[in-house]
Amino acid sequence: MAQVKNWQLKRDMKYPYDDNRPNKQIAFVFDTNKCIACQTCTVACKTTWTSGKGEETMFFNNVETKPYGGYPLKWDVNTLKMMGEQSWDKASGEYKGKTIFDDTKGENVNGWRPAERDYAFPNMGEDECSSIVNKGAFFSGIHDTWMFYLARICNHCTYPACLAACPRKAIYKRPEDGIVLIDESRCRGYKECIKACPYKKTFFNMVTRVSEKCIGCYPLIEQGEQPRCVQTCIGKIRMQGFLSKPGEEKADNPIDQIVHIKKIALPLYSQFGTEPNVYYIPPIHVPTDFLHQMFGPGVDKAVEAYKNLKDDKDLLAAFLLFGNSPKTIHHYKREGDFTVGYNEKGEVITKVPMTEPVYVRPYDDKDHGTFRHNTP
Amino acid sequence: MKKLIFLVAITALSESIATAQPTAITIKSEKATNIPFREVNNAVWKDIKAITVAMLPQNITTPMLTISSVRNIKVKSINDGNTIAFLLEWTDSTKDMIVDADKFCDQVAIQLPMHPDTLPIFMMGNKNGRVHIIHWKAIWQNDIENGFRDVKDAYPNYWADIYPMAEKEGDGTKGKFAKDISALDYSKGAGKNFMPAAYAGNPMSIFDRKEPSEECMAESFGTLTTQTNQNATAWGVWENNTWKVIFTRPLVSPDKDDAPLTIPTKIAFAIWNGHFENISGKKHYSQWIDFTTQK
Repeated sequence: MAQVKNWQLKRDMKYPYDDNRPNKQIAFVFDTNKCIACQTCTVACKTTWTSGKGEETMFFNNVETKPYGGYPLKWDVNTLKMMGEQSWDKASGEYKGKTIFDDTKGENVNGWRPAERDYAFPNMGEDECSSIVNKGAFFSGIHDTWMFYLARICNHCTYPACLAACPRKAIYKRPEDGIVLIDESRCRGYKECIKACPYKKTFFNMVTRVSEKCIGCYPLIEQGEQPRCVQTCIGKIRMQGFLSKPGEEKADNPIDQIVHIKKIALPLYSQFGTEPNVYYIPPIHVPTDFLHQMFGPGVDKAVEAYKNLKDDKDLLAAFLLFGNSPKTIHHYKREGDFTVGYNEKGEVITKVPMTEPVYVRPYDDKDHGTFRHNTP
Repeated sequence: MKKLIFLVAITALSESIATAQPTAITIKSEKATNIPFREVNNAVWKDIKAITVAMLPQNITTPMLTISSVRNIKVKSINDGNTIAFLLEWTDSTKDMIVDADKFCDQVAIQLPMHPDTLPIFMMGNKNGRVHIIHWKAIWQNDIENGFRDVKDAYPNYWADIYPMAEKEGDGTKGKFAKDISALDYSKGAGKNFMPAAYAGNPMSIFDRKEPSEECMAESFGTLTTQTNQNATAWGVWENNTWKVIFTRPLVSPDKDDAPLTIPTKIAFAIWNGHFENISGKKHYSQWIDFTTQK
């Protein structure tokens, strides 16, 4: 196995192939605080890509409720259990535990295989709180029970476990955008990727008898557009862009600004070691122990930064671009009272006011001599 | 450097296996007047000498087989001058004939060198050392014996609202959004757009398979490629905790991708036990065994 640099773990780690970062790396930022689990993303993805035969229980995109939800069942808990202690050096932030590429016992990746039935309950644990809300707690303000929605797609990892595990090299990572794809003509349905992917985002199609996965909506990406799940998000929780290589970040790239510079969005279970490229704004009301496990040691600062977002105008300007254009924003700039998003060619593709104007409609509609009210 | 280590490992392993096999064995394809394509218990097999070949867990490359469940395979071969047949038998107490996310099927394969004089590595060949492989899978046997295993066979009570572009004539849906459509029918029309591997022409996604076999070629790990011309046949029967599989192919094949069998050559075998999740490199293999054909 080669030694590769994983910036999320702040150390080198084992990987079956040499370090070979793509020219551009697709990346996403999801704001968990804004997600309402409406599943519009799930449906958009499903109707576009996985509504055919053999894809009945296949969701390239799903939204689950934490702490109890998970599709397929217990996808994260099972991997975490296998990995042993996962500690981080408090001072340096370096990961001290094992990744899924350690102790692989005759395989390329240390993984677990979901049962067929594990895919049958995509909404298990939906809307369930961590515990019962004590009597009277409703009235006392903030109570100590919690839940949040976790939207999930393929992470288009820098070091994909699916790719590492495929003995046929039927999985590849595109150099032009970092999207990880399964060659549907080459896969022979060995299901090694399904066992290996710690996020369980490769799927077996029982009809075509080969594996399938999220394709990052590459036909849209190639036209400068954001994927379906991002475009359709009614809560505007998502942004897709391209993340610069570590050390090459640019302040005018909204994804770099959020991930590399302000470090307010964090990778999910980065201890797996795959360097995932979906970055989450952690939920601000969830106990820190739980968040540490999911999002690593940077989570406290990220939550703090999010709470103070209104004071960081550059960061706020990046956030205000979420969901305001179907196009992929490569650069942005704060211009007066607006934040402006640009495409790769430097053309303006969206312009969003930093402060939305507020209009108050008086109850008394003098023009029509009547009162306005909100009943339909 | 990696290649050198690999070659040293292969050589060392070959030697250890050669010493593990007590005496050099040769499989002879005996002359017969009748070739049974599917009758594993046909009388013609009774008089043919079975050669027992040791099978070992694959531990040369990842993914490796860590639990061995097949010790050996019994091999018989006959030919009538036109067709050659192999009868393979091995003990397997479970009949695993379906595949799914967590289900694996039993499989067997024979491997022949394209150029016996410059013998390639026994494990899938090597670059410029091509091997010809004939592969049988129990799932394909099941497709032919019991019909293609569709979603409805796996989940009789399942419901899907619509399958996009499911165009089926004569079911009252006027050719749109057929409620209950087979994988084969779905793949015939625009529905194929929603079956990516079938659309891409993947040989795994055949819904009207005629033979439970596939002829391939390979030049090392991960290079297995389906041949354009499929002129081999296979048939498997599971009885008394034993799989019996017949392979046949033309003795002298017009297909340039098929290995020669009329000159002294070698043969090797591979077995996958579905019950133990054997798949891909997780298999039992044999060394090259001498093979001759009685003319």
